[in-house]
Amino acid sequence: MKFFDFHVHSAFSGGESSLEELASMAKKLGYKGICFTAYPLSKNEEEILKAEIERVKKAIGIEIWLGYEARNLKELKKLTKRRKEFDVLLVRGGDIRLNRAACETPEVDILTHPEFQRQDPGLDHVGIKLAAKNRVAIEINFREILFSTKRTRSLILKNIAQNVRLAKKYKAPIIICSGAISHWELRAPECLISMACQLGLELKEAKDALSKVPQEIIKLIKERKSKDWVMPGVKVVK
Amino acid sequence: MNVKKRLKVLIPTLREKERYIAFQIISEEPISYSDLEAALWNTMLEFFGEYGVSKTSVWLIKNLYDQKKQIGVIKCNHKSVAQVIACLGLISRLGESRVVFKILKVSGTIKGLRLNQFKNTKIKNNEVMNYPADTS
Repeated sequence: MKFFDFHVHSAFSGGESSLEELASMAKKLGYKGICFTAYPLSKNEEEILKAEIERVKKAIGIEIWLGYEARNLKELKKLTKRRKEFDVLLVRGGDIRLNRAACETPEVDILTHPEFQRQDPGLDHVGIKLAAKNRVAIEINFREILFSTKRTRSLILKNIAQNVRLAKKYKAPIIICSGAISHWELRAPECLISMACQLGLELKEAKDALSKVPQEIIKLIKERKSKDWVMPGVKVVK
Repeated sequence: MNVKKRLKVLIPTLREKERYIAFQIISEEPISYSDLEAALWNTMLEFFGEYGVSKTSVWLIKNLYDQKKQIGVIKCNHKSVAQVIACLGLISRLGESRVVFKILKVSGTIKGLRLNQFKNTKIKNNEVMNYPADTS
């Protein structure tokens, strides 16, 4: 089974580790590919990052994608317009309006931690239904659980479990990511799968969240890069 | 009355079904057994509580811990493999050193783990997740 981690921050986006350190640790742990998530960069920085990704991909021998994480509605609009220029579009959850906008946008691949810094889960049944319709994956962020304690952790676990319950009911895709900002925060696929099992997923569903759902996103990346692709759901048929 | 000091060994059908989890620690500095044991118990008690941990029958096997290769074995019952592995993921520091746990294999017997095969660090990871999920 191939496992992928689609939410990893490097030194380019407020992380602590270089691309090389992250990629080699991911390979050691048994991942087939990872997605480096960055916040919108200037053109120069983006070119440097893309060149670095190509170099590391060849040096380490692991699949690497470039993802952008939108932090507000403005960034989401901008990134949606230039969707073809990068691989994965993530939206940083937490704000109710942004969570809802992410679920309504078919260009978005992943809504990261919708319950981030909130007392509630951040998504209702309407949002989850929209996410299911637009194939926006709801993320289970392991870093949030890892670095919280006691009351905060129990609240986060409760909120994630509710999102998982609703996502299962409405068949919205669920994805598990480490959310690591350092290579020491990456976790083995088995640890992520086991944690997802504690949050209400069956073993098969948990495995799919780390393998099948990322592979669906990879398939979309390939489709989007082809010349026939126009917009989500529309392509030229010859 | 002549009472024996030791309990009789339970017959196999009455014994709890056990699983052995082999793991490797990737760390900045060498990790001692006592640090590992303390971290495992603290994390499990913090996450599942005393009652939850009592249901897992977890035990870190001392004589199977290899400090050079940093490979160890945890014993637990067959229903709580996922709980124990999830807890291993929650350990981010052992002493002063940052750590990442790599799960090598899960088996019903120590012999089945075939620990000798992990002499070289090249390990296939895919067969690990075939343990039964705890749906309770």
